[in-house]
Amino acid sequence: MTSYFVLQVLNGLVTGLIYALIAAGLTIIFSVLKIVNFGHGALYMIGGYAGYYAIHLLGVPPLFAVLVAMAATFVLGVIFERLMLAPLYTNKVDRKDEYATIVTFALFMLLENAAIVSFGPFNKRPPSFTDASLHVGMLTITGDRLVAAGMAALLLIGLSLFMQRTSLGQALDAVSQNRDAAAIIGIDAKRMFTTAFGLGAALAGGAGALIAPIFTLSPSMGDLPSVQAYIIVVLGGMGSVPGSIIGGMLLGIVEALGVGYYPDPNRALAYSNAFGALLLIITLLVRPTGLFGRAHVRME
Amino acid sequence: MLLSAESVTKRFGGIRAVDDLTLTVEKGELVGLIGPNGSGKTTLINLMSGALVPDGGHVRIDGISMSGKAPHVFARSGVGRTFQIPRLFRRMSVLENLITPALALKRTYSRVEAEHKAHQVLAFLRLTHVAALEARALSGGQQKLLELGRALMLEPRLLLLDEPFAGVHPKLLDQVAERIEELSRTGYAIVLVDHNLDAVRGLVRRLVVMARGRTIADGAPDEVLRSVDVIEAYTGR
Amino acid sequence: MALRAKPAISWLVAIAVMAALPHWLNAYWLHILATSWYYAILAVSWALLAGFAGQFSFAHMAFAAIGGYTSGLLAVDLHLPVPLGILCGVASAALVGAAIGWLCLRLRGPYLSLFTLAFALILQLIIIAEYQFTRGSLGLSVPGLFGGNSDLPYYYAGFVLVLASLAIMGALLRSRVGLFLRALREDEDAAEASAIDTSYYRILVFTITSAFAGLAGGYYGHYVGILSPNIVTIPEMGLVVAMAVVGGIENLPGAAIGAIFVFVASEALRSGGQLRFVALGLVIMLTQRFAQNGLVVLAAARLARATRRRAPSPKTATG
Repeated sequence: MTSYFVLQVLNGLVTGLIYALIAAGLTIIFSVLKIVNFGHGALYMIGGYAGYYAIHLLGVPPLFAVLVAMAATFVLGVIFERLMLAPLYTNKVDRKDEYATIVTFALFMLLENAAIVSFGPFNKRPPSFTDASLHVGMLTITGDRLVAAGMAALLLIGLSLFMQRTSLGQALDAVSQNRDAAAIIGIDAKRMFTTAFGLGAALAGGAGALIAPIFTLSPSMGDLPSVQAYIIVVLGGMGSVPGSIIGGMLLGIVEALGVGYYPDPNRALAYSNAFGALLLIITLLVRPTGLFGRAHVRME
Repeated sequence: MLLSAESVTKRFGGIRAVDDLTLTVEKGELVGLIGPNGSGKTTLINLMSGALVPDGGHVRIDGISMSGKAPHVFARSGVGRTFQIPRLFRRMSVLENLITPALALKRTYSRVEAEHKAHQVLAFLRLTHVAALEARALSGGQQKLLELGRALMLEPRLLLLDEPFAGVHPKLLDQVAERIEELSRTGYAIVLVDHNLDAVRGLVRRLVVMARGRTIADGAPDEVLRSVDVIEAYTGR
Repeated sequence: MALRAKPAISWLVAIAVMAALPHWLNAYWLHILATSWYYAILAVSWALLAGFAGQFSFAHMAFAAIGGYTSGLLAVDLHLPVPLGILCGVASAALVGAAIGWLCLRLRGPYLSLFTLAFALILQLIIIAEYQFTRGSLGLSVPGLFGGNSDLPYYYAGFVLVLASLAIMGALLRSRVGLFLRALREDEDAAEASAIDTSYYRILVFTITSAFAGLAGGYYGHYVGILSPNIVTIPEMGLVVAMAVVGGIENLPGAAIGAIFVFVASEALRSGGQLRFVALGLVIMLTQRFAQNGLVVLAAARLARATRRRAPSPKTATG
């Protein structure tokens, strides 16, 4: 029983790290652009497929495919931001909050259906990162989970260093804290918006490529993780990368335990997702300006 | 005593934006409220209009405590306000901006009556020619005037004006000041917030100076401006 | 005088055409149009909620499901007459709508969208998981509103419901409440400072629009005869958002026309499969980017300008 418990916690930790990666991307986009990206889950899904096709069509080794997926979603994110979000920074559009919600939601519709058209509605499974697995006493953790968790951790650490140590990271942070002040010290906010959206998309894409060998790929695979990511970002409460890491792992563990121990196994799976959504609702009720604990400022 | 703030305190995190402050506004008074940036002027206006709830102390209108009341109750009790940066109903017409508060105030008002009144306010503010435009199409100064007009439509007894001169074209400055003086003459109590001394001193008969969330001087403008504390607060010495 | 009479005339013509249309339609297209009434009511009420009052909710389909399932379950389990069941569905959707509106009072902008998204997800999962009551993903068979096999009575009943929805919500918008809702959308703090009880009106608009969503759900359930959790899915919500956006999010008749147009087009292009929804995503983006007030509104304006150019009306006509 205890080993089962430990296994559930470890599995939760792995998915938690992936969640954290998605949430970190969402966090960066929200804090710099001040919009919630409702297309985030679709970018995660596209990352998964990008990795899959990099392996199968280009013969890229599985781990390297993660980087290819990140590059692909980065480019996709930058194109979308330039074409659809750039008008937000000028006065070309009305109702900016609504505009951002609608066009990012349309991105989700477009990508998910494009995935069904081009990749087919059925599940695909990319090759494993490794065939090895780890045995500790009675427990077995597959190598894929360990690799995914390790890569996710590396990416998160890299992101943390990037935000703290590089001038680009600091410029992003400055824009997220105060656009006007950032403009005064000569930071090109427009470039930062593009960078932030591309970076956020790349993190989602990387997460998708990492999770693909563990679960499977399907066009709708991003629907639930994106809700989880919203929860984490709301839970994390500070817009910091460490916040989303802790939030992500907590959610992953709680979910894994919920599924593992729910009395009625028929309903366990369905309600484990509902539980996450309920958590989101409660968090928002307790902290209405939830995300990052900063008051949300309307864009106009 | 029209409106009184009795030892009100408002904290943001660890900072006391307004700190145990007491201020009374009498009927028909024109009060200037000045102080350096960050001294708590806007926070005080927000407390006096119900937009913020004090952490301590009370705000009373006609001696009745307004604790826990929403801003629209303050508005219905005769407190009209403007914002530092005009907050208009940007995609509604100038006329609609004006009739909205009137119709919200009185269920018995018909739209025709409200529009009639709105046209009087527009004439008073010299804005008749832009009545049909969307509010966002107005210049900065016109937006300030429209916001003042929107507050006037509430038939308020007290007007809280947050930096009515900020962002106004120099040519329009006199017009804004003139309108405020006119309103004061017709019996409105007005609290005028500004960090610009010169704009306020000629206009008001009572000057309140705030620093670090407290009032440090309160009295006739000339007297107040001679006070050592005020000079220190402004020069930072 | 002439200009003021024009909208009334175009309304009458449109109604007459739609009323006569079944004569030329085969059973399939009659069915498509009768189904499109469901989306029209949803798009119109969502446009009122999101476009006019600025409450960008993703829970609208959840209220349709509440209306549909309430009515359906009452008919199946308690053998309640269908029209009475639909009324109960409307009432329960309104009630839950009021509750959601109340819960959301402190939430603004995207936070409200997130909250309502989570609510819709939970409701969908409940319908799936509590299959002993709802039949879960298998779907709940419900009796029809009318006897017989013809879609014709549904076509007319649904059409009347669409017109009634437009009339009631349109009247609401033209009253002072319409002004207050728009003020609320533009700036909530300024609306409060203007003596508007924003909490009251936020709950009110949630209640009213949820009631209409519940009505749509009731009509739909008792028309197609089966209810499933698919009603609440994100793609269905996306479809309604698309309809309102394409038609005109700040124009109720526009939203209705947008809904009918998008639904009919998506059926006509059925062979396109999922590609249709890729196109729809693109259309939403392009509409938002280049014609934010909606394609129907844009087309109407163009048409009006064109007819005016052809027959220049005298200036006095406006008076």
